[in-house]
Amino acid sequence: MTERRDLAASLATSWFGADLPPHARAAFLDLARVVDLPADHELTREGELTTELDVVISGRVALQLRVPGRSRATILTVEPGDIVGWSAVVPPYRATSTAVTVGVVKALAVDAVALRDALRADDALAASLYPRLLESVARRLQGTRLQLLDLFSGQGEGTW
Amino acid sequence: MPATDRAQDRAMSRPRLGVVKFASCDGCQLTLLDLEDELLPITDRVEIVEFAEATSARSSGPYDLLLVEGSISTPEQAHEIVELRRQTAKLVTIGACATAGGIQALRNVADHDAWRAAIYPEPAWIESLATATPIADHVTVDAELRGCPIAPGQLKEFLVASLVGRRPQLPDEAVCMECKRAGRVCVVVASGEACLGPVTRTGCGALCPAYARGCYACFGPRESANVAGLRQGFVAASLLTEAEVDERFAGFTAMAPAFAPSASAAALSYREGAVVRPSTDKAARPEVDDARR
Amino acid sequence: MTTARPTALPASLSPASHPDPDSLEPAFLERADLAALVVALRDDGRAVIGPTVRDGAVILDEITSVDELPVGVRETQAPGHYRLGDGRPDRIFDFTVGPMSPKGWTFPARVPIGTARRTPDGATFSAATPDARPLAFLGVRACELAALDVQDRVLLRGPVADHDYDARRRSALIVSVECTTAATTCFCTSMGTGPEVRDGADLVLTETTAGFVVRTGSERGRDLLARLPVRPATDLERDEAAGGVAEARAAVSANAGVATTGLPGRLGAALDHPRWAEVAERCLTCGNCTLVCPTCFCTSVEQVSDLEGTETTTNRAWASCFSAEFAAVAGGTFRSRPQDRYRQWLTHKFSTWVDQFGTSGCVGCGRCVTWCPVGIDVREELAAIAPPPRQALPVLPIAPSPVPDDAWLRAARVLDSRRETDDVVTMTVAWNDAPRPRPGQFVMIGLPGYPAAPISVSRVHDAAIELTIRAAGPATTALTRLGPGEEVGRRGPLGRGWPVERMVGRDIVIVAGGIGLAPLRPLIDSIAADRLQFGAVRIFLGARTPRDRLFTAELAAWTEAGLLVDETVDRAGADWLGRVGVVTHLFDHSERIPEGTIAAVCGPERMMEATADVLRSRGLTDDRILVTLERHMDCGVGLCGHCQLGRFFVCRDGPVFSLAELGDAFGREGR
Repeated sequence: MTERRDLAASLATSWFGADLPPHARAAFLDLARVVDLPADHELTREGELTTELDVVISGRVALQLRVPGRSRATILTVEPGDIVGWSAVVPPYRATSTAVTVGVVKALAVDAVALRDALRADDALAASLYPRLLESVARRLQGTRLQLLDLFSGQGEGTW
Repeated sequence: MPATDRAQDRAMSRPRLGVVKFASCDGCQLTLLDLEDELLPITDRVEIVEFAEATSARSSGPYDLLLVEGSISTPEQAHEIVELRRQTAKLVTIGACATAGGIQALRNVADHDAWRAAIYPEPAWIESLATATPIADHVTVDAELRGCPIAPGQLKEFLVASLVGRRPQLPDEAVCMECKRAGRVCVVVASGEACLGPVTRTGCGALCPAYARGCYACFGPRESANVAGLRQGFVAASLLTEAEVDERFAGFTAMAPAFAPSASAAALSYREGAVVRPSTDKAARPEVDDARR
Repeated sequence: MTTARPTALPASLSPASHPDPDSLEPAFLERADLAALVVALRDDGRAVIGPTVRDGAVILDEITSVDELPVGVRETQAPGHYRLGDGRPDRIFDFTVGPMSPKGWTFPARVPIGTARRTPDGATFSAATPDARPLAFLGVRACELAALDVQDRVLLRGPVADHDYDARRRSALIVSVECTTAATTCFCTSMGTGPEVRDGADLVLTETTAGFVVRTGSERGRDLLARLPVRPATDLERDEAAGGVAEARAAVSANAGVATTGLPGRLGAALDHPRWAEVAERCLTCGNCTLVCPTCFCTSVEQVSDLEGTETTTNRAWASCFSAEFAAVAGGTFRSRPQDRYRQWLTHKFSTWVDQFGTSGCVGCGRCVTWCPVGIDVREELAAIAPPPRQALPVLPIAPSPVPDDAWLRAARVLDSRRETDDVVTMTVAWNDAPRPRPGQFVMIGLPGYPAAPISVSRVHDAAIELTIRAAGPATTALTRLGPGEEVGRRGPLGRGWPVERMVGRDIVIVAGGIGLAPLRPLIDSIAADRLQFGAVRIFLGARTPRDRLFTAELAAWTEAGLLVDETVDRAGADWLGRVGVVTHLFDHSERIPEGTIAAVCGPERMMEATADVLRSRGLTDDRILVTLERHMDCGVGLCGHCQLGRFFVCRDGPVFSLAELGDAFGREGR
């Protein structure tokens, strides 16, 4: 029970879980377990099936893309409170980047198949969880758009 | 070692300047000689290694700075410019032919083979492309000096700035700006002259309005050249008909993208002997011969 | 007019309010005796600038004799149309205004402002000496007097005076002429500037059938009148003169005009009106309207170098907000679309000018209407863009920071230069005999041969300042290549910096993107030096890649001083262990921002917009979000006009602004 309370506390303080209604929070916790991951641990691999969704509680996870002929590029780091593995609930359920822990990471892990089953079976859970998932993805999309502008490269260019 | 690296190695000594031409009249090259007072000091600062109009010395590259006059009109030229580009650190096109194709680019909308057959007794001996195209259609151009011919002041500014290492001041604004700074009275408003100054890039010192005639756009289009607005304004003021406005653009910079729709319409109507033709806004820039690529 | 038109002139030019009761005034000058006036002015060594016919128009030029003045000439004017014709026989001033105005002499199209020379041991910078020949203007109309006053406000009465304008303007004696005829393009009665001449002239002539009724407006004018063959005017002559002006007033009033009441507010509320795009289809963005306008004051600098590059003269030349280059900065121009440029011109002239200078920028002379080659009529455009009234903003209090009165650049020695990243260098420059820059202020830095560039001060020492410069163009590249002992030209400190006093006792969030950290570093220094004066301080830093991070050696010291530093980069290799993501990404995971926090943000404008959105969503109000803006700056002291943004000059009134101050001017395309 102590573990369950810790789990609940962790979820409640995370950005992802903070505003979930009680039912969704309980249902999510039923699926979740706490994991302590070492540095350089791979949570997902680009192109492969996503096996779990993680809510990062502490530490940092780097999302990396592979570019042939170059070393992997980190395009985003996932900070505490945010999620890794949204592809667990979006077909074709394959990871869009390789997620690697930077240092030790504590996370709440939810099995991908169990999560999908729960979302299919529990409309109330789905109605609460999907908007949070979308918000996280939308924020990344917005950030990526700004990155695309490569704003700092053009700074001060041209006039003088 | 690529040409650019070699050029840097030589930065301490005098930069090597070349002047070459393709399809053109030599007038722009001669502007260099017009610099007169500055010419000798310039030759102190740069080594002129190729300049047919001024010296019999011949050299093949590499060039630190190459001034290129003329448009590409033959298969041989299309090959040669690529070769020259390889040997050059900074390639600068000079004049309307090199920057926009020149007056000869009007052939881009003509029936090339028919003209060739009509003019030459042995058309088969004439090896020319169906188009006359600007240098930038063939190779990367580092800077351009506009005009027919180019302005001595701009050439000097370009050379001086290049030697000092600053950005040359070649303003992309309307001819009107320099016209008004010089205290000239607008020929459109005060005399009803059709003047292309508002859509033409400055640089000539507003020469034509100084002699009470309208600008004929030999420096080519400025940024935001509002050709449609100019045509509408001249027609509304009964200065010219639409067709007459188009004809004004069928000159030295006819095939510059902003002017090409108007100029092509005028050239086509000439070719077809048509007197009246519809509005030309939709006319596309003529296709260039793919063979030259 | 909602705003009172100013009457104050520079003290030396102010007319006395109590004319001598024994004077001849108003006097009468026979037409044949006008020659005596021209002679008297020339005898004083003045260049007499008056009307004459050339190239199909009444233009202004230096005249040497009364014979050069037009006789019996009147013009017809309409949008895009000007033709000379016959006026009343013998009348000399029977026309209205031509394409030129006194601006061509008080503020010439091109004048030198300084010369820079490379010397064996550095560089010298010398300001140009204004042309000293005194001027006399003959035939200045009421609207043109008002225009001179508008330019006085801009060029003389701000924190920095334009030296060249000052010299010319003070030298100029003005013989004014009241209009007794009107063109269809005149709308002085709308703008409250004419046709009657009230003040600002030394001598005022009103033409009648036989000659001129003459009044004086200054001591200089009275001295001049005493030397003319005049007699007191008869009542009949005075009545005829007044009648002529009244006729002109009636004619102007019958013209299309401008509804000035509440206009600044109405225009300000119409920034998204579809008419802007529509007028842009007709507008050629040629700039004619701005160059014939007697109040437009925008200029650009030009460099004229000798072949050796040892001597470069810098000229100031008329420029126009209708050219793309005018608002060019960082790889583009703020006003790329013609509609942005037309909107900038019209809204500045009729709206933000009032907020900025306490007067409309338009005097109703109609030149922009007549001399537009396609006849665009501002009166029509203003009538079409006519939304509901709005209260005008109070006049902006300017120059909160002391401004040095250097006319131009002064030489300063480079003490040190060190590389920060591949393309960024921090240069230490000796800083003596100049005020100590406040955090967020900038300086203009020039090298002989190059235009001066605005550079943020990134650290202040006792007798030196640090400048952090990114090699972006040739001028900044040349600066980054300088070594110790070399000389640069400097002017400053300039602009309004961060309001450090307002931040005392508060929590502070500092957000920097790329080289945007440079102008924030003096703020961070001030906070660190007096740490207990401030609440919690968080610093968010964004950079393109790990290699582009600035001042990395200092981050530990900042943390030690009790400032929380978070960093992120836009992209990184797998070896980077820090955060990756845009700078707003840092906020996504930061705890709540306490109420009352003040944010200071600097970076590319689009990054500042995204940051502002996040800060607003976290409850910060616009008056607590401070940004520092980048705009094209040629002069740095609020004279050249390039950095005009709404009612502000970014260089003089900023570059630091609160979003509340900027209002609509922030985050809107084409401003």
